Formats: sequence, C-alpha cells, structure tokens
Amino acid sequence: MKVVTGVVGNDIHVVANRLIDLSLKARGYEVYNLGVNTHLEEFFDAVVETGAEVLMISSLNGEAEGWGREVKLLKSKYKNLDDVIMMIGGNLVVGSGNTEDIVARYRKYGFDLVCHQIDLNTGLDMLQSTIEERFPS
Amino acid sequence: MVSQAEKLLIDVGSTYFKVCTPTSIEQHFRDFNQDILDDLMSKCGDTISRFDKQDVHICSSANGGLSTLIIGITNSFSLKYATNIAFNSGINIIDTILFQNIEDYSVPSDLIDVVIVVGGVDSHSNLYSEKIFSYLDQLNYSNAVFVGSTQDSQSMRDNIENLVVLPNIIDDKLHIVEEHLKDYLTNLYQQDIEGKEEIKHLYEITSNQILSTPYVVNRALPHIETRVSVANPFILLDIGGATTDIHYSKDLVDENIVTENEYDRLVFKRLGVYKSRQSLILAAQSNEFVYELLLHLGVTENIYNEQTDKATKILMQLAIFLVLCKMSHYRQSYVNLRLLQINSIVLTGGITKVLSQDEVETIIAFFYRKILSSGHNPVAVMDSNYDIWTLGTKV
Amino acid sequence: MSLLQEEREIILSNEYVDSFDFAEVSEFVSNASKDLFISHHFAKREKMLVQPRGGFPTYQQQYALYEYFVDANVDVLPLTIDSNTRLNDYATAKKMLRLSEENDMDMLNGYPLVTHGYRTTRKMITHFDKPVSLRHGTPDARLLIETAIASGIFEIEGGPITYLLPYSKNFPLDKAFLYWKYVERVCANYSELNEPINRESFGPLTATLVPPSITIVIQLLEMLLSLEEGVKSFSVSFAQQGSMNQDIVTGAVLKKMAKHYAEEIDCGDAAINLVYHQWMGAFPTNQDFADQLINLSTVIASMVGADKIITKTRQEATGIPTKEANAKTVADTQYCLRILNGLPSVVDEEEEEMLTLQVKAIMEAVFNDPADTLWRKVFNSIKNGVIDVPFSPHIINQNEMITIRDAGKNIRIIERGNVPIPDRCYEYEKSQCDLSKDTTSIVNDIIHDIGIMQW
Repeated sequence: MKVVTGVVGNDIHVVANRLIDLSLKARGYEVYNLGVNTHLEEFFDAVVETGAEVLMISSLNGEAEGWGREVKLLKSKYKNLDDVIMMIGGNLVVGSGNTEDIVARYRKYGFDLVCHQIDLNTGLDMLQSTIEERFPS
Repeated sequence: MVSQAEKLLIDVGSTYFKVCTPTSIEQHFRDFNQDILDDLMSKCGDTISRFDKQDVHICSSANGGLSTLIIGITNSFSLKYATNIAFNSGINIIDTILFQNIEDYSVPSDLIDVVIVVGGVDSHSNLYSEKIFSYLDQLNYSNAVFVGSTQDSQSMRDNIENLVVLPNIIDDKLHIVEEHLKDYLTNLYQQDIEGKEEIKHLYEITSNQILSTPYVVNRALPHIETRVSVANPFILLDIGGATTDIHYSKDLVDENIVTENEYDRLVFKRLGVYKSRQSLILAAQSNEFVYELLLHLGVTENIYNEQTDKATKILMQLAIFLVLCKMSHYRQSYVNLRLLQINSIVLTGGITKVLSQDEVETIIAFFYRKILSSGHNPVAVMDSNYDIWTLGTKV
Repeated sequence: MSLLQEEREIILSNEYVDSFDFAEVSEFVSNASKDLFISHHFAKREKMLVQPRGGFPTYQQQYALYEYFVDANVDVLPLTIDSNTRLNDYATAKKMLRLSEENDMDMLNGYPLVTHGYRTTRKMITHFDKPVSLRHGTPDARLLIETAIASGIFEIEGGPITYLLPYSKNFPLDKAFLYWKYVERVCANYSELNEPINRESFGPLTATLVPPSITIVIQLLEMLLSLEEGVKSFSVSFAQQGSMNQDIVTGAVLKKMAKHYAEEIDCGDAAINLVYHQWMGAFPTNQDFADQLINLSTVIASMVGADKIITKTRQEATGIPTKEANAKTVADTQYCLRILNGLPSVVDEEEEEMLTLQVKAIMEAVFNDPADTLWRKVFNSIKNGVIDVPFSPHIINQNEMITIRDAGKNIRIIERGNVPIPDRCYEYEKSQCDLSKDTTSIVNDIIHDIGIMQW
C-alpha cells in the first residue's frame, strides 16, 4: 500500500512530517514523502508517478483554508485519480472551530478522511479502517 | 585543473568560428560556400597544424543542435526532470507531451532527433497504453530512449523499434537521477555529428569528442570569474541567429532538483535575430511595452521593415527585453526567475560585437522599471572576446 | 582589483545600500575599540561569556533592548536579523520597518540591518562598546555581513551547512558554499586590521534528536572551510542535548577534534572557542519550569567548560520575549555562574572513545570523496547521506538516520543509513536502547523524546 505524504504551503513543520513518515513506515506502508512546502499539483503528480492508493496531506496553522477550494478543480484535470483515498490531517483552522463543521467542510473539498487536531496514531487507525473497507482482502 | 598550455580550442558557430590558443583568440566569419573543415583550414590552417589531434577540442552549435520530443506522465516530475536534463545536455528544441492528453496533440511533421519516454517510479508499472505506440508509429524520429519505470521497459522494448532503455530518471524518493540520460544525450550529439557530412570531417583534426556549445558554455560558468567580473547570482544570455540560450544560477529559481550543475540552461527557440527574425518581430509586436521601448530607443515600428545595421541592433535590444519578460511573472513561461536577486547579466555571442554596454544597460534598466517597477539594476557584462566558452572545454 | 573586491563592489552597489565607503570602513575597523571584538574577550578567558538573543524592528527598540542587557551585566550583545532580510527581501523589510515605525507595532521579527544601514547602526554599537554577535539564518549573507562589520559587529554566526539544512527546502547548497566563502574571505581580510573577526558555526542544527557525531562533524567541517580562507578566530558550538553526561562528552570531543583538525591544515594558530546553547527544543509553557530548565542548562555549560553561553528566556514557549524577560535570564545566568564553584571534572572515557571513533570515521569518509575542493567533498557527502541531519527539510538530506533516547536520555543512533560509523560503535549505540519494542512503539518514543523538556 503506497502513500504520498507531505506538508502543503509555507509550513516549515518538518518534525510532524518526518514523524508521519516514520509512523507510516512502521505500519508497513511504502511512503513517498514530498516534505514541506509542497504544492497541491506536486501531490497529485506524485500520486500519478507512484501509483499511490493514498494521498495524505498535512496542514498546520489553518493554512489549508487557503487552498481547500482548489482541490476538486485541480483534481478534475487528472484522468486517473478518482480512486485515490484523500486524507488531510493536522490543524485545519486558524483559531478554534467546531470539529463537525470543519470535517464537513473539508469533505466537501474532496477529502475522504478529515483529521482535525486528532492524535497521529488515531488518525492512522482511521486510515487503516478506510483501506480495509476499500480493499477487503 | 588541466593546464591549457598545449590546447587548441575551436568553437564552430552558425555565423563564425572562434579559434583559441593559450596566447590568442581569433574570430572568422564562415564562408558557407565551403566545407567547414576546408574553410577552417584556409583561415587558421597554420595555427591548427601546430597542435596534435589529442590537444584539439571542438565544440559546435552549427548544425542547430538536437531536437527532442518528451513524453511524460506529469509536469512536476517526469516532464520537468527530463526537460532539465535535456536542456543541460545542449539540446535545442524541446517539445513535451503529457501522456494522459496524447490524443489532443498533433503529430509534428519535422524529423525529431530523439524521443524521450519517461514516467513512473520503479515500483509502479503499466503507465503507458497502446496510445503511445500508435502515436509513435505516426512520428518521424531517429532515436528513442526510455527512462521510466523498469517494470515497463520490456513492454516498451517489445513495441518500439531500436529503443534504448536506461535507468529511471526518477528515483524512489521522487528525486532526479541525471547521469544516465545526460550521458546518452551528450553522446547522441556526437553520433548525430558523425551522420552529418559537414561536421564529421572535423574529426580529422581532433581525436576528442565534439560537444555542443551550449553544454560547454554551461560547464564554463563556475569558472567565469577568471574572465569577467560578475557577482552571483547571475544569468548569461546568448542571443543567436536562431535561438536564445539562457543559463541561470540555480538560486534564482525555486526547484526541488539537486544536480551537479550550479547553473541550469534553457532555450527560447523562436527568439533569434537572423533565422528567427520574423518570429522575434511578431513577439515584439504582441508585447504592450515594446511601443514605449522603441520610443525610448528613438525609433518607430518602421524599423521592423528595415534591413540595416541599425535595425539589427534594435532587434537585438528587443530580444534582450523579450527574453527578460519571458522569465518573469509578466509572461508565464517555462521558468520564473527571481529577477530582483540577479547581480549581473552576462551577454555572450554575436550580440557582443554589435551592442555596446550602454545599449544593453538601457534595456535592462527599462525592463526593471517598467515590468518589475523596481530600481534594481544588475550590472551588464559583455563577453566581448566571446571566450567564456573556452573555460568549459577543460576535460 | 582582486576578484573578491570586484564582487564586493557589485554586491554593495545594491539599490538598498547607501553608498558603501570601503576606505572609511577599513579605517573604522582598524581603530575600533578592542572591547568591540569578542575575539579579544575570548583571548582573556576570564569567565564564560553570557549572550542572549534579540532583535527588534526599530532603532529605538533595539537601543532600549541593549540598555536592559547592559544593566543585567551582559557580556555579548546580540543582533538578531528579521526573516525578510534573511531572504534578501530588502524591499519588504523596508516597507515593514516603515509600518512598524508609523504604527508602533512590530511588523518584523528582528532588526532589518541592511535597511537601517551601517552608519546608523554603528552609532548604537559604539555607544555601548560591547562585543556584538550577528544572529541570522541567511543562505546568501554577503551584503548582510558587509553591513554588519561596517557597523562594528565583529562576530558573524552561521555557515553554509548550519544555516541551510535546518531551514531551507531547496536553496542550492553549492551556491551556499560559494556565498559563505565570500563571508570567510571578507572576515579574514578585516581580521588583519585589528583583532580577529570571530566566526561562529550554528551547532544546534535542527535541535531535534541530532546525534553528537553529526553535530561535531558539521562543526569541524564549517570550521575547516573557514580557517582555510584565513579566519583566525572560530567558535564551534552545540546545543544542550538532554543528558548532562552526553553534553560533557560532546564538549570534550568537539574541543579535542577541533584542535586536531585545525592543526592538520596548518591552522593551529587560530583561536578555537566553544559555545553552548541553552535548550533549543520545545520549552515548557509553565514559566517557572522554564526558569529551572535555563538554570540547569547553565550548570551543564559550566560542566562542559564552554567559553560562551547563549541564553533562552522563560517566555520561549509563547513567542518573542520582552526585553524584561530577556534581560532577566541574563542576570539569572550571570548569578548562576558566579555561585557555581568547585565543579568536579567529569570524564567518561568509554563514551569519549566511541564518539571520537564515530567522528573520525565520518570525517575520513568526507575527505576520501574524490572531489578536488573541501566544499564539494562536503556537498557530495551530504548528498550521499554520509552526513545526515535528522529532521532537515532540505531535499538534499537523505533522511535515513533514525535516533532515539536511551534510558539516560542520551541520543543514540538506532539506524545509521549511509553514515559510516564503525560497526563497533553502531552496535554500542543500539545496545544502549531497548529495541525489543515494535516499531510503532519506537516511533511513539521518538515523539515523546522530542518533547522531553515540556513536562
């Protein structure tokens, strides 16, 4: 199971990124880590080049609000990305917000799994369940 | 560093030759009625015969360089990496196709020297379908190389005749791996020359591989301070008859590419003052600032119709302006440079024989003021002896 | 005119610089008060020098900060540069300075030195007559350090590796080496006029589980790259790592190896100093706990025998400290140093031996690289993962090395990647840790290790 991961935009949160990388590897995923300061297009392109089943974007500082709306539009330009599991985690708003509203909003942006301020291991467990549903073995 | 004491360096350009010994450098206009070797020997035979074949190094841009078509699966990785490697190998014309849209591209009628197929990390496969084979069947090309996922190499080989297969240019960290494709393309230039009657006779006077001039110029750049006074980061413009080459310091772009090169190169293929004169004029006419620039230079648009020396000068100045525009946000192009960081702009090539430093600086100042609204003014440096290339011939 | 001078003229003809008077600056440096030179104070070796961090946008604010520091008995003043200036974006720095002045609000997170210029800044520096250290994080620091030295700032922190790998994703490392060579040469040239200009490498790097061998190797390499250009006074540094014993061992090996390698390149006459940073990782939000951490750091710095200590503040977890909090730490630290008497000398021979073997093996691998210049050997070594900095965001960093803490909170290497530490050392490192746990638990340990000082 392949995962493309990274941090979008101007976040220099490399520690979180590296911990996600190590945690995913520990759970047996093949990880393609684009690092920090990654652009949305690079994420989608990486999925195409690697055949990843999962795209996991980290965003901290609520910065994701700046580009959330562009996700669907950009993704529609790709002919083969419909099946990829889209996951976003981190701190998805500036200041505080109602988790339910936040999750709903990001699901509308096109994310299957939305983890706002959720502990890393819990988030990865959620991913695990989603994968088991999608790819029963 | 190998001492240049015993070496003879020759650059065969599209308009003239440059011949450089440890003590002198000379330029001669080419006589197109003669074979290149005969022409060279008639003008510099004495100098050339003083050197052994192993001490003669030749580079050339005379036959226009190789053309390539790159077929890849994404813009950020396969196409970007292959394009970067191709430009830095001295390739002159590069067209790219994003595979998922291949049906939307028309098939070029010109002969393509090399088709590069790239895409997919080694752990991925089945990136390409029938569509690529049927496209290639309609294409007129001389060479084909595959630098994508190793898992696809067999099926590629089975369906593309005489395909050369090389290791992937994308590794499993999605980073660039340049060596194999770069060597292949550099050597292809040599092979291409061997098929060109004119140039291959040059092997009678040298036993060294003939390299493409832009490749040699690129290698010269880390040593440029020994010839001209520049401060990094800088760009080097080589405005020629048919194309314009730009070499730029890598800290002027925001790219995730780590290679041995300190300077990357790209080519604008329709910006040249002789062969591409018409397309240069068209580009000028469609730029809204050119009218004002012409006024600033003291001429009107009638200058486009003149065939005088003055007209050539103006066109060269326009070419500089248009090239700078192409590298800025004003005209989104292949690359966006951090133009406000540039400390020096080096000009090399025929243009240094025609324009003065002042004439170049006028354009640079105009560009920064009008397009970037900035008082920034990189120093213009003229490689008047046209000898920067000689620094890149050290083996 | 030399090549360097030609380049200097171009750099200093930048439109944001108010005509640079080379002759006048040289004269100023020649006649500058000895007390402005940290190298002069280091040579006296009277006490551990205490230096805070700090930079505010306006001249008045910076001046006020310095007044507080001097009242608190500071030994070395800092000048911390804002992030726009660090990215050579002088246009934005200028705009933000004006906004800060007009609106009485801090629009910059440091002092925009190039915007203020050297003539203005020099007034302040010479008034206080204390050595000043330039703190920044700039890959291309050429214009910045010219302005700094002309202002009377005679210590320049940073280096091509230490100021790039922890902060930048893709600034080309080869260009960084080139730009820092300029810095070394300019410092070396000015050093001939009066006391030496001191260069200081930035040891903390990512301050996140960086093993001592990597820290030391990078310190040594930046030192060599500097000394080979003629710099005569250099400070190697490292940050508190979490275990007192490990810090003492690191300090001892770093000092010994620095001297050794300096002599190898015939630069044994250069003065080498040791600098210790108080904890650079995540700070406790409880400010009283933060004060305890700071005191602990000071004790360790004394055990290590550092020549200079760089302080933090109790407000570290919340943001940029007030001048009051900053000065408080200076006073606290000075007090702590005054009362620390009768410190035992602690030597852990086994750990020192292991660490020395690791450092020598990596250094040898770097020197064995076929490139013809030292900087390119280092470049290739980083690219090949022979040097690997944990948690670096830079694309050139290999990110194969994994480190965790053992029971004594020492940082240990449990996965070396391509870093050529001898097998014996590798086994020793791993044997200190409990690797029987599953990998997910180990990852959880890493998460916990990073926040080691927070609770």
